[in-house]
Amino acid sequence: MKKIMNNPVHFVDEMLQGILISHPNQLTTVSGNLRCIIKGGSGKKNKVGLATGGGSGHLPLFLGYVGEGLLDGCAVGGVFQSPSSDQMLEVTKAIHQGAGVLYIYGNYGGDIMNFDMAAEMADMEGIKVEQVIAGEDVASAPKGEEGKRRGVAGIFYAFKIAGALADELASLPEVKRIAEKTCANVRTMGVALTPCIVPEAGKASFSLGENEMEIGMGIHGEPGIRRGVLQKSDEIVQQMADKILVDLPYEKGDEVSILLNGLGATPKEELYIMAMKIHQLLKEKGIRVFNTYVGEFATSMEMAGASISVLKLDEELKRLLSKPANSPFFTQFQL
Amino acid sequence: MNQLKIGDIKSIIHQIKIIVDQHQDMLMELDSVMGDGDLGFTMTKAFSAAQTESDISVEMIPGKLLMHLGMIIAKTSPSTMGTLIATGFMKGGKALEQVHEIGSEELAVFLETFVKSIMDRGKSVPGNKTIIDTLYPAALALRASANELQPLITGITAARSAAMKGLEDSTQMKAQHGRAAYYQDNSIGKQDGGATVGTYIIEGFYQHIAKSQN
Repeated sequence: MKKIMNNPVHFVDEMLQGILISHPNQLTTVSGNLRCIIKGGSGKKNKVGLATGGGSGHLPLFLGYVGEGLLDGCAVGGVFQSPSSDQMLEVTKAIHQGAGVLYIYGNYGGDIMNFDMAAEMADMEGIKVEQVIAGEDVASAPKGEEGKRRGVAGIFYAFKIAGALADELASLPEVKRIAEKTCANVRTMGVALTPCIVPEAGKASFSLGENEMEIGMGIHGEPGIRRGVLQKSDEIVQQMADKILVDLPYEKGDEVSILLNGLGATPKEELYIMAMKIHQLLKEKGIRVFNTYVGEFATSMEMAGASISVLKLDEELKRLLSKPANSPFFTQFQL
Repeated sequence: MNQLKIGDIKSIIHQIKIIVDQHQDMLMELDSVMGDGDLGFTMTKAFSAAQTESDISVEMIPGKLLMHLGMIIAKTSPSTMGTLIATGFMKGGKALEQVHEIGSEELAVFLETFVKSIMDRGKSVPGNKTIIDTLYPAALALRASANELQPLITGITAARSAAMKGLEDSTQMKAQHGRAAYYQDNSIGKQDGGATVGTYIIEGFYQHIAKSQN
């Protein structure tokens, strides 16, 4: 293991201290609790509070989307571990502005249970909480079993779009509806080339051969669809597109936003090579690309690999996606 | 002894902690086959915190102590299994909020509520190769014994046998939840870490009650 760090036990807390000291005006904690990160400044009265949470090791997911036009707070777990329900409750109380709170998080057992508990506790304190669980990884469960799919990079779209609508002071049911609609219209698929190492574990939990890749692998190393010899970029993208496009399905005349996401150790150069192919494939199918995001949106420590997400747009989603947003990890001007 | 008082509950928590500590490596190993390998670590962390808290607690009502220990486990061990067990203690304890002594009937209520709350929280049922597959049969055995007005030791002995039998049965089941579910048919024949933890909890109750018979 080669990592720039101090004591592995302090990995997450030191990272959080670093983030807070680097962005003092944009982020703060709830009463000094490093694992409860919220937006700096005073919140808008009667705005629906948006919270997420999840394990560390995925930056900019999850706390990277706490910002203007995005989320209001995030509960931070250990590397690949769910935060606790009381951390989520603290965040919930801190971001509640009288209009209720919406949780948007990925489809993982530990996170679901802890958010459920937090929602029950918040309810006892008189805060109305709704939840939207993102799961769009087409490789993680077949069509017809969408409820079993893992949430990966596509959750970014739910944060962005729900964040934009909440900013307009829409009601809790409205913000929940738009988050659900976004999740229902996005699909993702990934490929992993190398494993990643959890600092406290000190070694990789699985291995991939020098010339191997695993199509469909999850962001915690969950088994994918197929392991095989590393192929050319165009061939990889073709396989991902084949799976993604038939799933929704995306059809001729549709308009989409696409997101090319690096898993941690894959350079933007490679992501742009992938971008070229996915644009070409979409064009051939008569699907129009509204915009393209390229970069790191949901990573897995130092894993090499990438994912492609496709969001089918309509006028409502397009308008909200286009609005400006700003956090220490994501900045967008009006599209 | 036919009634568990606050001191008994503290001893039972201590006993569970000892059993979990003794089996840390085994849990790690079971979990590394189908999970992410940290079950032994999260369980020792959960029960150490529970025991420390239980030792210093001045709470006099057993159910309230159990509820409080659930909250402590939820805080210290937010992993899947930690959260499930925390939920069990919180809801099971809450069901006994009003009573000062726990007899066969109350213990049956506790365990029934414990397992029911885990089923709700984990959205699962018996037969899916989880902790439910040891706790559910144990709760049924305890209930049957309580309905026959049997003494505590008879009930907990039956619950212990039912949990052991449940562990054996669950080994042959196919995993449906969590990371283990990815292994589908390959999970058959492998012992489940969560189901194993279920037997340790029952064992903690059994050992204390058996020891207190003389």
